[in-house]
Amino acid sequence: MEKQTPDIGAEVFDTLKYIIDPEVGINIVDLGLVYKVALQDEKLQVDLTLTTPGCPMGGTIVTAAEQILLKRFPNLDVQVELVWTPMWTTDMISEEGMNQLNGM
Amino acid sequence: MSTASTSNSPAKWVVLPHYAFAALAFLALSVLLLFSTDAFSGHYFHPKLLTLTHVAVLGWATMLMFGALYQLLPVVLDCRLYSEKLAVYTFGLLATGTILLSYSFWNFQLGWTMHLAACFLFAAFMLFNINVIQTARKAPKWTIEADFIVSSAIWLLVTGLIGLLMAVNLSAPFLPEDHVHYLKLHAHIGMAGWFLLLIIGVGAKLIPMFLLAHPEDTKKLNWSYNLINAGLVLFIFDHMLLHTKLLPLYAGMVTLGVGLFLLYLRDARNTMQRKEVDLGMQQTFVALALLLVPLGLMFVVSTEVGLPQQLMSATYLAYGISVFLGFVTALILGQTFKTLPFIVWMHAYENHVGRYKTPLPKDMYSHTLLRWQNISYLAGLVVLLTGVWFRDQHVILSGGIAFTLTAILYTINVFRMLLHKAHNLKPITYGKANA
Repeated sequence: MEKQTPDIGAEVFDTLKYIIDPEVGINIVDLGLVYKVALQDEKLQVDLTLTTPGCPMGGTIVTAAEQILLKRFPNLDVQVELVWTPMWTTDMISEEGMNQLNGM
Repeated sequence: MSTASTSNSPAKWVVLPHYAFAALAFLALSVLLLFSTDAFSGHYFHPKLLTLTHVAVLGWATMLMFGALYQLLPVVLDCRLYSEKLAVYTFGLLATGTILLSYSFWNFQLGWTMHLAACFLFAAFMLFNINVIQTARKAPKWTIEADFIVSSAIWLLVTGLIGLLMAVNLSAPFLPEDHVHYLKLHAHIGMAGWFLLLIIGVGAKLIPMFLLAHPEDTKKLNWSYNLINAGLVLFIFDHMLLHTKLLPLYAGMVTLGVGLFLLYLRDARNTMQRKEVDLGMQQTFVALALLLVPLGLMFVVSTEVGLPQQLMSATYLAYGISVFLGFVTALILGQTFKTLPFIVWMHAYENHVGRYKTPLPKDMYSHTLLRWQNISYLAGLVVLLTGVWFRDQHVILSGGIAFTLTAILYTINVFRMLLHKAHNLKPITYGKANA
Protein backbone atom coordinates (compact mmCIF):
# COMPACT_ATOMS: atom_id res chain seq x y z
CA MET A 1 0.00 0.00 0.00
CA GLU A 2 1.50 3.32 -1.06
CA LYS A 3 1.50 5.90 1.70
CA GLN A 4 2.34 9.52 0.86
CA THR A 5 3.56 10.45 4.26
CA PRO A 6 4.37 14.10 4.83
CA ASP A 7 6.75 15.23 7.54
CA ILE A 8 4.00 14.99 10.09
CA GLY A 9 2.98 11.56 8.74
CA ALA A 10 4.32 9.59 11.67
CA GLU A 11 2.48 11.91 14.03
CA VAL A 12 -0.77 11.44 12.10
CA PHE A 13 -0.42 7.65 12.26
CA ASP A 14 0.37 7.82 15.97
CA THR A 15 -2.72 9.97 16.54
CA LEU A 16 -4.95 7.61 14.57
CA LYS A 17 -3.74 4.75 16.75
CA TYR A 18 -6.04 6.12 19.47
CA ILE A 19 -9.03 4.95 17.44
CA ILE A 20 -9.80 1.34 18.26
CA ASP A 21 -11.96 -0.84 16.02
CA PRO A 22 -14.61 -1.76 18.62
CA GLU A 23 -15.25 -5.25 17.29
CA VAL A 24 -11.65 -6.36 16.77
CA GLY A 25 -10.28 -4.40 19.70
CA ILE A 26 -7.10 -3.14 18.01
CA ASN A 27 -6.34 0.28 16.57
CA ILE A 28 -7.18 1.17 12.99
CA VAL A 29 -3.55 1.80 12.01
CA ASP A 30 -2.27 -1.62 13.08
CA LEU A 31 -5.40 -3.16 11.60
CA GLY A 32 -4.27 -1.73 8.24
CA LEU A 33 -7.36 0.40 7.72
CA VAL A 34 -5.46 3.63 7.03
CA TYR A 35 -4.61 3.63 3.32
CA LYS A 36 -3.28 7.11 2.69
CA VAL A 37 -2.06 10.14 4.59
CA ALA A 38 -1.13 13.16 2.44
CA LEU A 39 -0.45 16.80 3.26
CA GLN A 40 -0.81 19.41 0.54
CA ASP A 41 -0.46 23.03 1.63
CA GLU A 42 -2.70 23.16 4.71
CA LYS A 43 -4.93 20.27 3.67
CA LEU A 44 -4.48 16.91 5.41
CA GLN A 45 -6.08 14.10 3.41
CA VAL A 46 -6.62 10.68 5.02
CA ASP A 47 -8.13 7.66 3.25
CA LEU A 48 -9.56 4.89 5.42
CA THR A 49 -11.28 1.61 4.76
CA LEU A 50 -13.24 -0.90 6.88
CA THR A 51 -12.82 -4.62 7.42
CA THR A 52 -16.05 -5.32 5.55
CA PRO A 53 -18.25 -3.29 3.18
CA GLY A 54 -21.42 -2.01 4.81
CA CYS A 55 -19.87 -2.11 8.28
CA PRO A 56 -22.01 0.10 10.54
CA MET A 57 -18.83 1.54 12.05
CA GLY A 58 -18.12 3.53 8.88
CA GLY A 59 -19.59 6.82 10.05
CA THR A 60 -18.20 6.48 13.56
CA ILE A 61 -14.64 5.77 12.45
CA VAL A 62 -14.60 8.59 9.90
CA THR A 63 -15.99 11.09 12.43
CA ALA A 64 -13.60 9.86 15.10
CA ALA A 65 -10.60 10.22 12.77
CA GLU A 66 -11.68 13.74 11.80
CA GLN A 67 -12.23 14.77 15.41
CA ILE A 68 -8.97 13.42 16.72
CA LEU A 69 -6.93 14.89 13.85
CA LEU A 70 -8.62 18.30 14.16
CA LYS A 71 -7.84 18.31 17.85
CA ARG A 72 -4.21 17.34 17.23
CA PHE A 73 -3.70 19.57 14.18
CA PRO A 74 -6.09 22.52 14.68
CA ASN A 75 -4.41 24.59 11.97
CA LEU A 76 -4.92 22.02 9.20
CA ASP A 77 -7.91 21.42 6.98
CA VAL A 78 -8.59 17.73 7.77
CA GLN A 79 -10.44 15.59 5.25
CA VAL A 80 -11.09 11.93 5.99
CA GLU A 81 -12.55 9.77 3.27
CA LEU A 82 -13.85 6.20 3.38
CA VAL A 83 -12.65 4.10 0.42
CA TRP A 84 -13.26 0.50 -0.64
CA THR A 85 -10.46 -0.16 -3.09
CA PRO A 86 -8.27 -2.02 -2.68
CA MET A 87 -10.45 -4.36 -0.61
CA TRP A 88 -9.08 -4.79 2.91
CA THR A 89 -7.62 -8.22 3.66
CA THR A 90 -6.05 -9.65 6.79
CA ASP A 91 -2.64 -9.39 5.08
CA MET A 92 -2.84 -5.67 5.81
CA ILE A 93 -2.70 -6.18 9.58
CA SER A 94 0.69 -5.09 10.93
CA GLU A 95 2.92 -7.37 12.98
CA GLU A 96 2.01 -5.35 16.07
CA GLY A 97 -1.67 -5.78 15.15
CA MET A 98 -1.28 -9.56 14.78
CA ASN A 99 0.39 -9.71 18.18
CA GLN A 100 -2.48 -7.76 19.75
CA LEU A 101 -5.03 -9.91 17.94
CA ASN A 102 -3.57 -13.08 19.33
CA GLY A 103 -3.12 -11.68 22.81
CA MET A 104 0.69 -11.74 22.75
CA MET B 1 -10.00 4.77 -5.25
CA SER B 2 -13.75 4.41 -5.08
CA THR B 3 -15.29 6.24 -2.19
CA ALA B 4 -17.91 4.75 0.08
CA SER B 5 -20.91 5.96 2.00
CA THR B 6 -20.65 6.13 5.80
CA SER B 7 -23.09 4.43 8.17
CA ASN B 8 -26.32 2.78 7.02
CA SER B 9 -27.37 1.92 10.57
CA PRO B 10 -30.99 2.48 11.58
CA ALA B 11 -31.93 4.48 14.68
CA LYS B 12 -31.60 2.66 17.98
CA TRP B 13 -35.36 2.77 18.74
CA VAL B 14 -35.87 0.61 15.65
CA VAL B 15 -33.57 -2.15 16.88
CA LEU B 16 -33.25 -2.17 20.66
CA PRO B 17 -36.92 -2.78 21.68
CA HIS B 18 -36.69 -6.12 19.85
CA TYR B 19 -33.81 -7.23 22.10
CA ALA B 20 -35.71 -6.12 25.24
CA PHE B 21 -38.90 -7.92 24.23
CA ALA B 22 -37.01 -11.06 23.19
CA ALA B 23 -35.16 -11.26 26.52
CA LEU B 24 -38.42 -10.93 28.45
CA ALA B 25 -40.04 -13.52 26.18
CA PHE B 26 -37.18 -15.94 26.88
CA LEU B 27 -37.68 -15.37 30.61
CA ALA B 28 -41.44 -15.91 30.24
CA LEU B 29 -40.78 -19.04 28.19
CA SER B 30 -38.55 -20.58 30.85
CA VAL B 31 -41.06 -19.76 33.62
CA LEU B 32 -43.91 -21.27 31.56
CA LEU B 33 -41.72 -24.33 31.08
CA LEU B 34 -41.67 -24.79 34.87
CA PHE B 35 -45.48 -25.01 34.86
CA SER B 36 -45.69 -27.31 31.84
CA THR B 37 -43.79 -30.42 32.89
CA ASP B 38 -47.01 -32.47 32.67
CA ALA B 39 -47.45 -31.58 29.00
CA PHE B 40 -44.43 -33.52 27.77
CA SER B 41 -45.89 -36.95 28.31
CA GLY B 42 -48.27 -37.01 25.35
CA HIS B 43 -48.77 -35.68 21.84
CA TYR B 44 -47.16 -32.40 20.76
CA PHE B 45 -50.57 -30.91 19.92
CA HIS B 46 -51.11 -29.77 23.50
CA PRO B 47 -52.16 -26.25 24.60
CA LYS B 48 -49.15 -25.77 26.86
CA LEU B 49 -46.68 -27.09 24.28
CA LEU B 50 -48.26 -24.92 21.59
CA THR B 51 -47.88 -21.92 23.92
CA LEU B 52 -44.24 -22.72 24.69
CA THR B 53 -43.46 -23.24 21.01
CA HIS B 54 -45.02 -19.96 19.91
CA VAL B 55 -43.45 -17.93 22.72
CA ALA B 56 -40.11 -19.47 21.68
CA VAL B 57 -40.43 -19.01 17.93
CA LEU B 58 -42.25 -15.66 17.87
CA GLY B 59 -41.53 -13.74 21.07
CA TRP B 60 -37.99 -14.99 21.49
CA ALA B 61 -36.41 -16.08 18.20
CA THR B 62 -38.32 -14.19 15.51
CA MET B 63 -38.48 -11.00 17.60
CA LEU B 64 -34.73 -11.00 18.15
CA MET B 65 -34.01 -11.91 14.54
CA PHE B 66 -36.19 -9.04 13.28
CA GLY B 67 -34.31 -6.59 15.49
CA ALA B 68 -30.89 -7.96 14.61
CA LEU B 69 -31.79 -8.06 10.93
CA TYR B 70 -32.73 -4.36 10.84
CA GLN B 71 -29.18 -3.72 12.02
CA LEU B 72 -27.49 -6.39 9.91
CA LEU B 73 -29.42 -6.08 6.65
CA PRO B 74 -27.62 -2.81 5.81
CA VAL B 75 -24.31 -4.59 6.55
CA VAL B 76 -25.11 -7.62 4.40
CA LEU B 77 -26.71 -5.67 1.54
CA ASP B 78 -24.60 -2.50 1.87
CA CYS B 79 -27.57 -0.11 1.75
CA ARG B 80 -29.97 1.61 4.15
CA LEU B 81 -33.07 -0.09 5.53
CA TYR B 82 -36.07 0.77 3.33
CA SER B 83 -38.32 2.05 6.12
CA GLU B 84 -37.71 2.49 9.85
CA LYS B 85 -41.37 3.39 10.41
CA LEU B 86 -42.46 0.10 8.85
CA ALA B 87 -40.06 -1.70 11.21
CA VAL B 88 -41.69 -0.06 14.23
CA TYR B 89 -45.21 -1.00 13.06
CA THR B 90 -43.96 -4.55 12.47
CA PHE B 91 -42.61 -4.66 16.02
CA GLY B 92 -45.98 -3.55 17.44
CA LEU B 93 -47.89 -6.15 15.42
CA LEU B 94 -45.47 -8.97 16.23
CA ALA B 95 -45.42 -8.15 19.96
CA THR B 96 -49.21 -7.86 20.25
CA GLY B 97 -49.79 -10.91 18.07
CA THR B 98 -47.38 -13.01 20.13
CA ILE B 99 -48.97 -12.04 23.46
CA LEU B 100 -52.50 -12.66 22.16
CA LEU B 101 -51.59 -15.98 20.57
CA SER B 102 -49.78 -17.21 23.68
CA TYR B 103 -52.78 -16.25 25.84
CA SER B 104 -55.12 -18.05 23.39
CA PHE B 105 -53.07 -21.25 23.30
CA TRP B 106 -52.46 -21.37 27.06
CA ASN B 107 -56.20 -21.06 27.75
CA PHE B 108 -57.05 -22.86 24.51
CA GLN B 109 -59.43 -20.10 23.46
CA LEU B 110 -60.00 -20.69 19.79
CA GLY B 111 -62.20 -17.64 19.15
CA TRP B 112 -61.54 -14.03 18.26
CA THR B 113 -58.33 -13.63 20.32
CA MET B 114 -56.64 -16.37 18.32
CA HIS B 115 -57.99 -15.04 15.00
CA LEU B 116 -56.88 -11.52 15.84
CA ALA B 117 -53.46 -12.76 16.93
CA ALA B 118 -53.01 -14.70 13.68
CA CYS B 119 -54.07 -11.63 11.65
CA PHE B 120 -51.62 -9.38 13.56
CA LEU B 121 -48.81 -11.85 12.99
CA PHE B 122 -49.55 -12.27 9.31
CA ALA B 123 -49.67 -8.47 8.94
CA ALA B 124 -46.32 -8.23 10.76
CA PHE B 125 -44.76 -10.76 8.37
CA MET B 126 -46.22 -8.92 5.39
CA LEU B 127 -44.72 -5.58 6.50
CA PHE B 128 -41.43 -7.31 7.27
CA ASN B 129 -41.37 -8.75 3.74
CA ILE B 130 -42.02 -5.36 2.19
CA ASN B 131 -39.16 -3.90 4.21
CA VAL B 132 -36.72 -6.70 3.39
CA ILE B 133 -37.57 -6.91 -0.32
CA GLN B 134 -37.54 -3.15 -0.84
CA THR B 135 -34.21 -2.91 1.00
CA ALA B 136 -32.76 -5.74 -1.10
CA ARG B 137 -33.87 -3.97 -4.28
CA LYS B 138 -31.59 -1.05 -3.35
CA ALA B 139 -28.57 -3.27 -2.78
CA PRO B 140 -25.67 -2.21 -5.02
CA LYS B 141 -24.55 -5.82 -5.47
CA TRP B 142 -26.72 -8.95 -5.25
CA THR B 143 -25.12 -11.75 -3.26
CA ILE B 144 -26.02 -15.29 -2.24
CA GLU B 145 -26.55 -13.97 1.30
CA ALA B 146 -29.28 -11.70 -0.08
CA ASP B 147 -30.89 -14.75 -1.74
CA PHE B 148 -30.98 -16.56 1.60
CA ILE B 149 -32.42 -13.59 3.50
CA VAL B 150 -35.10 -12.61 0.98
CA SER B 151 -36.19 -16.25 0.53
CA SER B 152 -36.38 -16.73 4.30
CA ALA B 153 -38.68 -13.72 4.61
CA ILE B 154 -40.98 -15.16 1.93
CA TRP B 155 -41.03 -18.54 3.69
CA LEU B 156 -41.93 -16.73 6.93
CA LEU B 157 -44.92 -15.19 5.17
CA VAL B 158 -45.99 -18.65 3.93
CA THR B 159 -45.61 -20.01 7.49
CA GLY B 160 -47.76 -17.17 8.82
CA LEU B 161 -50.41 -17.73 6.14
CA ILE B 162 -50.69 -21.43 7.01
CA GLY B 163 -50.84 -20.46 10.69
CA LEU B 164 -53.66 -18.01 9.99
CA LEU B 165 -55.63 -20.65 8.05
CA MET B 166 -55.11 -23.14 10.88
CA ALA B 167 -56.23 -20.61 13.50
CA VAL B 168 -59.50 -20.10 11.63
CA ASN B 169 -59.82 -23.83 10.95
CA LEU B 170 -59.66 -24.63 14.67
CA SER B 171 -62.99 -22.91 15.35
CA ALA B 172 -64.56 -23.06 11.88
CA PRO B 173 -63.18 -26.15 10.15
CA PHE B 174 -62.86 -25.83 6.39
CA LEU B 175 -59.53 -27.52 5.55
CA PRO B 176 -59.85 -31.01 4.00
CA GLU B 177 -57.15 -32.76 6.09
CA ASP B 178 -56.77 -33.02 9.87
CA HIS B 179 -55.01 -30.29 11.82
CA VAL B 180 -51.77 -32.18 12.49
CA HIS B 181 -51.29 -32.59 8.73
CA TYR B 182 -51.04 -28.80 8.32
CA LEU B 183 -49.11 -28.41 11.55
CA LYS B 184 -46.26 -30.48 10.07
CA LEU B 185 -46.23 -28.21 7.03
CA HIS B 186 -46.39 -25.05 9.16
CA ALA B 187 -43.58 -26.23 11.45
CA HIS B 188 -41.20 -27.43 8.71
CA ILE B 189 -41.60 -24.34 6.54
CA GLY B 190 -40.96 -22.23 9.63
CA MET B 191 -37.93 -24.25 10.71
CA ALA B 192 -36.18 -24.83 7.37
CA GLY B 193 -37.59 -21.95 5.33
CA TRP B 194 -37.49 -19.13 7.86
CA PHE B 195 -34.99 -19.95 10.61
CA LEU B 196 -32.48 -22.09 8.74
CA LEU B 197 -32.26 -19.97 5.58
CA LEU B 198 -32.09 -16.73 7.55
CA ILE B 199 -29.43 -18.04 9.91
CA ILE B 200 -27.32 -19.35 7.02
CA GLY B 201 -27.71 -16.10 5.06
CA VAL B 202 -26.71 -13.87 7.96
CA GLY B 203 -24.21 -16.36 9.42
CA ALA B 204 -22.36 -16.70 6.11
CA LYS B 205 -21.61 -12.99 6.28
CA LEU B 206 -21.18 -12.42 10.01
CA ILE B 207 -19.32 -15.48 11.25
CA PRO B 208 -16.33 -15.01 8.87
CA MET B 209 -16.45 -11.28 9.67
CA PHE B 210 -16.18 -11.94 13.41
CA LEU B 211 -13.35 -14.42 12.81
CA LEU B 212 -11.53 -11.97 10.51
CA ALA B 213 -11.69 -14.50 7.71
CA HIS B 214 -12.46 -13.81 4.07
CA PRO B 215 -13.64 -16.97 2.30
CA GLU B 216 -14.15 -15.97 -1.33
CA ASP B 217 -15.59 -19.08 -2.94
CA THR B 218 -19.38 -19.05 -2.50
CA LYS B 219 -20.10 -22.21 -4.53
CA LYS B 220 -20.87 -24.18 -1.36
CA LEU B 221 -23.34 -21.50 -0.29
CA ASN B 222 -25.02 -21.54 -3.71
CA TRP B 223 -25.50 -25.30 -3.51
CA SER B 224 -26.61 -25.05 0.09
CA TYR B 225 -29.31 -22.55 -0.95
CA ASN B 226 -30.48 -24.70 -3.88
CA LEU B 227 -30.59 -27.94 -1.89
CA ILE B 228 -32.46 -26.56 1.13
CA ASN B 229 -35.06 -24.79 -0.99
CA ALA B 230 -35.48 -27.75 -3.34
CA GLY B 231 -35.83 -30.14 -0.38
CA LEU B 232 -38.44 -27.89 1.20
CA VAL B 233 -40.47 -27.37 -1.99
CA LEU B 234 -40.45 -31.11 -2.77
CA PHE B 235 -41.51 -31.84 0.82
CA ILE B 236 -44.46 -29.43 0.50
CA PHE B 237 -45.65 -30.96 -2.81
CA ASP B 238 -45.24 -34.46 -1.48
CA HIS B 239 -46.96 -33.71 1.80
CA MET B 240 -49.89 -31.94 0.14
CA LEU B 241 -50.37 -33.95 -3.05
CA LEU B 242 -48.24 -37.02 -3.63
CA HIS B 243 -47.91 -38.76 -0.23
CA THR B 244 -44.90 -40.85 -1.30
CA LYS B 245 -42.29 -42.48 0.95
CA LEU B 246 -39.60 -40.07 -0.25
CA LEU B 247 -39.53 -37.82 2.83
CA PRO B 248 -36.04 -39.04 3.88
CA LEU B 249 -34.77 -37.94 0.46
CA TYR B 250 -36.00 -34.39 1.03
CA ALA B 251 -34.59 -34.49 4.56
CA GLY B 252 -31.29 -35.61 2.98
CA MET B 253 -31.29 -32.63 0.62
CA VAL B 254 -31.79 -30.21 3.51
CA THR B 255 -29.09 -31.98 5.52
CA LEU B 256 -26.67 -31.82 2.59
CA GLY B 257 -27.42 -28.09 2.24
CA VAL B 258 -26.64 -27.54 5.91
CA GLY B 259 -23.49 -29.65 5.54
CA LEU B 260 -22.25 -27.40 2.72
CA PHE B 261 -22.85 -24.33 4.88
CA LEU B 262 -20.83 -25.94 7.67
CA LEU B 263 -18.05 -26.71 5.18
CA TYR B 264 -18.11 -23.07 4.09
CA LEU B 265 -17.64 -22.06 7.73
CA ARG B 266 -14.82 -24.59 8.06
CA ASP B 267 -13.09 -22.87 5.11
CA ALA B 268 -13.55 -19.56 6.92
CA ARG B 269 -12.17 -21.01 10.13
CA ASN B 270 -9.11 -22.31 8.27
CA THR B 271 -8.28 -18.81 7.04
CA MET B 272 -9.17 -16.90 10.19
CA GLN B 273 -6.58 -14.58 11.64
CA ARG B 274 -8.17 -14.43 15.05
CA LYS B 275 -6.86 -17.29 17.12
CA GLU B 276 -8.71 -16.33 20.31
CA VAL B 277 -12.43 -17.06 20.13
CA ASP B 278 -14.57 -15.11 22.62
CA LEU B 279 -17.53 -16.46 24.63
CA GLY B 280 -20.07 -15.25 22.09
CA MET B 281 -18.36 -17.12 19.26
CA GLN B 282 -17.77 -20.20 21.43
CA GLN B 283 -21.52 -20.35 22.05
CA THR B 284 -22.10 -19.90 18.29
CA PHE B 285 -19.93 -22.95 17.58
CA VAL B 286 -21.90 -24.88 20.23
CA ALA B 287 -25.08 -23.93 18.34
CA LEU B 288 -23.65 -25.18 15.05
CA ALA B 289 -22.72 -28.47 16.69
CA LEU B 290 -26.21 -28.73 18.20
CA LEU B 291 -27.64 -28.41 14.68
CA LEU B 292 -26.61 -32.01 14.11
CA VAL B 293 -29.18 -33.21 16.70
CA PRO B 294 -32.37 -32.09 14.86
CA LEU B 295 -30.85 -33.13 11.53
CA GLY B 296 -30.43 -36.66 12.89
CA LEU B 297 -33.92 -36.67 14.44
CA MET B 298 -35.40 -35.37 11.18
CA PHE B 299 -34.49 -38.71 9.55
CA VAL B 300 -36.16 -40.62 12.38
CA VAL B 301 -39.43 -38.67 12.12
CA SER B 302 -39.43 -38.70 8.31
CA THR B 303 -38.75 -42.42 7.93
CA GLU B 304 -41.41 -43.45 10.48
CA VAL B 305 -39.23 -46.42 11.39
CA GLY B 306 -42.01 -48.14 13.31
CA LEU B 307 -41.08 -46.94 16.78
CA PRO B 308 -43.69 -47.50 19.52
CA GLN B 309 -46.19 -44.63 19.67
CA GLN B 310 -44.87 -43.27 22.99
CA LEU B 311 -41.30 -43.25 21.77
CA MET B 312 -42.34 -41.64 18.50
CA SER B 313 -44.15 -38.85 20.41
CA ALA B 314 -41.04 -38.31 22.55
CA THR B 315 -38.93 -38.22 19.38
CA TYR B 316 -41.18 -35.54 17.86
CA LEU B 317 -40.90 -33.47 21.05
CA ALA B 318 -37.13 -33.91 21.18
CA TYR B 319 -36.97 -32.88 17.49
CA GLY B 320 -38.86 -29.63 18.15
CA ILE B 321 -36.91 -28.88 21.33
CA SER B 322 -33.58 -29.52 19.60
CA VAL B 323 -34.47 -26.98 16.91
CA PHE B 324 -35.94 -24.14 18.97
CA LEU B 325 -34.41 -24.54 22.42
CA GLY B 326 -31.31 -26.22 20.94
CA PHE B 327 -29.86 -24.79 17.76
CA VAL B 328 -31.82 -21.51 17.49
CA THR B 329 -31.63 -20.57 21.19
CA ALA B 330 -27.94 -21.48 21.45
CA LEU B 331 -27.18 -19.32 18.46
CA ILE B 332 -29.14 -16.36 19.81
CA LEU B 333 -27.49 -16.68 23.24
CA GLY B 334 -24.11 -16.40 21.54
CA GLN B 335 -24.79 -13.89 18.79
CA THR B 336 -26.59 -11.46 21.12
CA PHE B 337 -23.18 -10.79 22.64
CA LYS B 338 -21.63 -10.23 19.20
CA THR B 339 -24.29 -7.76 18.03
CA LEU B 340 -26.01 -5.97 20.93
CA PRO B 341 -22.88 -4.58 22.67
CA PHE B 342 -21.74 -3.22 19.35
CA ILE B 343 -25.12 -1.59 18.57
CA VAL B 344 -25.42 -0.01 22.03
CA TRP B 345 -21.77 1.08 21.95
CA MET B 346 -22.22 2.75 18.57
CA HIS B 347 -25.20 4.80 19.74
CA ALA B 348 -23.62 5.69 23.10
CA TYR B 349 -20.13 6.57 21.93
CA GLU B 350 -20.14 7.48 18.24
CA ASN B 351 -19.93 11.19 19.10
CA HIS B 352 -17.20 10.65 21.69
CA VAL B 353 -14.74 8.43 19.80
CA GLY B 354 -11.61 10.36 18.90
CA ARG B 355 -12.19 12.91 21.68
CA TYR B 356 -12.54 10.79 24.81
CA LYS B 357 -11.27 7.43 26.02
CA THR B 358 -14.21 5.10 25.49
CA PRO B 359 -14.78 1.53 26.69
CA LEU B 360 -15.01 -1.27 24.12
CA PRO B 361 -18.28 -3.11 23.40
CA LYS B 362 -16.91 -6.18 25.18
CA ASP B 363 -16.60 -4.10 28.37
CA MET B 364 -20.33 -3.42 28.47
CA TYR B 365 -21.54 -6.76 29.80
CA SER B 366 -20.47 -9.25 32.45
CA HIS B 367 -18.31 -12.04 31.07
CA THR B 368 -18.85 -14.03 34.28
CA LEU B 369 -22.64 -13.95 33.82
CA LEU B 370 -22.20 -14.89 30.17
CA ARG B 371 -19.97 -17.84 31.04
CA TRP B 372 -22.54 -19.14 33.57
CA GLN B 373 -25.34 -18.46 31.12
CA ASN B 374 -23.65 -20.70 28.54
CA ILE B 375 -22.98 -23.44 31.11
CA SER B 376 -26.51 -23.44 32.58
CA TYR B 377 -27.98 -23.38 29.07
CA LEU B 378 -26.13 -26.48 27.90
CA ALA B 379 -26.88 -28.30 31.16
CA GLY B 380 -30.56 -27.31 30.90
CA LEU B 381 -30.86 -28.54 27.32
CA VAL B 382 -29.27 -31.91 28.05
CA VAL B 383 -31.42 -32.41 31.18
CA LEU B 384 -34.62 -31.31 29.41
CA LEU B 385 -34.05 -33.64 26.45
CA THR B 386 -33.27 -36.49 28.83
CA GLY B 387 -36.46 -35.77 30.79
CA VAL B 388 -38.58 -35.67 27.63
CA TRP B 389 -37.01 -38.87 26.32
CA PHE B 390 -37.64 -40.76 29.59
CA ARG B 391 -40.93 -38.95 30.35
CA ASP B 392 -39.74 -37.97 33.80
CA GLN B 393 -41.41 -34.80 35.09
CA HIS B 394 -38.78 -34.20 37.79
CA VAL B 395 -35.99 -34.29 35.24
CA ILE B 396 -37.99 -31.98 32.95
CA LEU B 397 -38.48 -29.60 35.89
CA SER B 398 -34.72 -29.64 36.57
CA GLY B 399 -34.12 -28.74 32.92
CA GLY B 400 -36.70 -25.95 33.25
CA ILE B 401 -34.92 -24.58 36.33
CA ALA B 402 -31.58 -24.52 34.48
CA PHE B 403 -33.29 -22.73 31.56
CA THR B 404 -34.81 -20.19 33.97
CA LEU B 405 -31.36 -19.53 35.40
CA THR B 406 -30.03 -19.11 31.87
CA ALA B 407 -32.83 -16.68 31.03
CA ILE B 408 -32.24 -14.63 34.20
CA LEU B 409 -28.50 -14.33 33.51
CA TYR B 410 -29.18 -13.47 29.87
CA THR B 411 -31.81 -10.85 30.73
CA ILE B 412 -29.59 -9.18 33.34
CA ASN B 413 -26.77 -8.86 30.80
CA VAL B 414 -29.09 -7.66 28.01
CA PHE B 415 -30.70 -4.96 30.18
CA ARG B 416 -27.31 -3.95 31.52
CA MET B 417 -26.35 -3.16 27.92
CA LEU B 418 -29.69 -1.61 26.96
CA LEU B 419 -29.53 0.79 29.93
CA HIS B 420 -25.85 1.63 29.37
CA LYS B 421 -25.07 5.35 29.23
CA ALA B 422 -21.79 7.08 28.49
CA HIS B 423 -20.51 8.75 31.64
CA ASN B 424 -17.31 10.09 33.25
CA LEU B 425 -15.41 10.03 29.97
CA LYS B 426 -11.85 11.26 30.13
CA PRO B 427 -10.39 13.28 27.26
CA ILE B 428 -7.63 11.61 25.25
CA THR B 429 -4.17 12.73 26.28
CA TYR B 430 -1.41 12.02 23.81
CA GLY B 431 1.35 9.62 24.69
CA LYS B 432 1.93 6.13 23.41
CA ALA B 433 -1.34 4.93 21.87
CA ASN B 434 -0.62 1.23 22.18
CA ALA B 435 0.47 1.50 25.79
